[in-house]
Amino acid sequence: MKISLKDIYIEFLQIGIQLLGGGYVIIPLMKRNIIDKRKWITDRDLSEYYALSQSIPGIIAANISAFTGYKLNGAKGAAAAILGIITTPIISIIGIAIILNKLLQISFIQSIFWGASISVIILIYLSIKEIWRNSISDIFSFLIYVITIILSLSFSLSPAKIIFITLFIGMFYKIIKKQRENL
Amino acid sequence: MKIYILLFIEFFKIGILSLGGGYATIPFLYQLINDYGWYTTQQLSDMIAISILTPGPVGINMATFAGYKTIGVSGAILASISLVIPSYIIVIVISKIMIKLKDNFYIKAILDILKPTGCGLLTVVGIKFCKDYITDIYSLLLLTTLFIISYKFKKNPLYYFLIGGVSGILIHLFFPNSGI
Repeated sequence: MKISLKDIYIEFLQIGIQLLGGGYVIIPLMKRNIIDKRKWITDRDLSEYYALSQSIPGIIAANISAFTGYKLNGAKGAAAAILGIITTPIISIIGIAIILNKLLQISFIQSIFWGASISVIILIYLSIKEIWRNSISDIFSFLIYVITIILSLSFSLSPAKIIFITLFIGMFYKIIKKQRENL
Repeated sequence: MKIYILLFIEFFKIGILSLGGGYATIPFLYQLINDYGWYTTQQLSDMIAISILTPGPVGINMATFAGYKTIGVSGAILASISLVIPSYIIVIVISKIMIKLKDNFYIKAILDILKPTGCGLLTVVGIKFCKDYITDIYSLLLLTTLFIISYKFKKNPLYYFLIGGVSGILIHLFFPNSGI
């Protein structure tokens, strides 16, 4: 059974409106709207999509939406779901961006954003802690982490260049290790 | 026209290279300051704060904002779409040919490398933000307070912004010479 593109778009639009924050926050919303209300997918589907979405590149919310949309109506369904989830950010952020410059001329608004900048540092720190738990599991991953920081701070290379270097070093090590194990 | 192509390439690149959710895109958005000067460091941190507090996925909010800073509304739309195109392609390929991600040696190895690299890149941005913003006793005190609070309270970002914002106003009112 194929679900209509309009229904998919509207459902993901609604999830986008209710979504505040990143990462796993989308799970309870998906459960309520897509599983309990619409019965389009099962709990098992959702946990599978979430696991897959975390282990591929890209924004997790967009990945989950695409997996769900694909299941509901193929490639078109995936496009409808992604467009649904990005509609809210596009409209709300453009609206805020337009008035932001005017707001920032008020001195106490500047003070609020001064404090918010410090809050951003803590939120980045909390995010590092969370990513750390899923990514640094042995000496190999810790060394990749250290190499990344050294490359970035001492040579100020761009993130893209650093990723190519760590991929090169890391794959070299992994392939050699695998060949030794096979001997 | 050139700016549209640049925007597309840069955000498409972020969509391929960032792994681990919205915050993982921050190092790339920081790099755009150095490469093109589309916005300043202060504007980036304002963008992050607003993106966390606005409905929608944080990563897409930030990309939309960054795109808006370059060429306005069309930039905003182009940036967010460019960011999710890689997701779209990767998800369809995976769904179609049912790659068993966990079992493939090369894919597993690439992920094992990309994850700690992303973590390191975000750490560096954290260090750079500290250098930029922890410049006086007020910012140091606020950071320390928030740091301690992060071990006691829930993870809801609203609390941190509430404390940060109110502290900003209070310091502005009571210490007019602080420049805050």
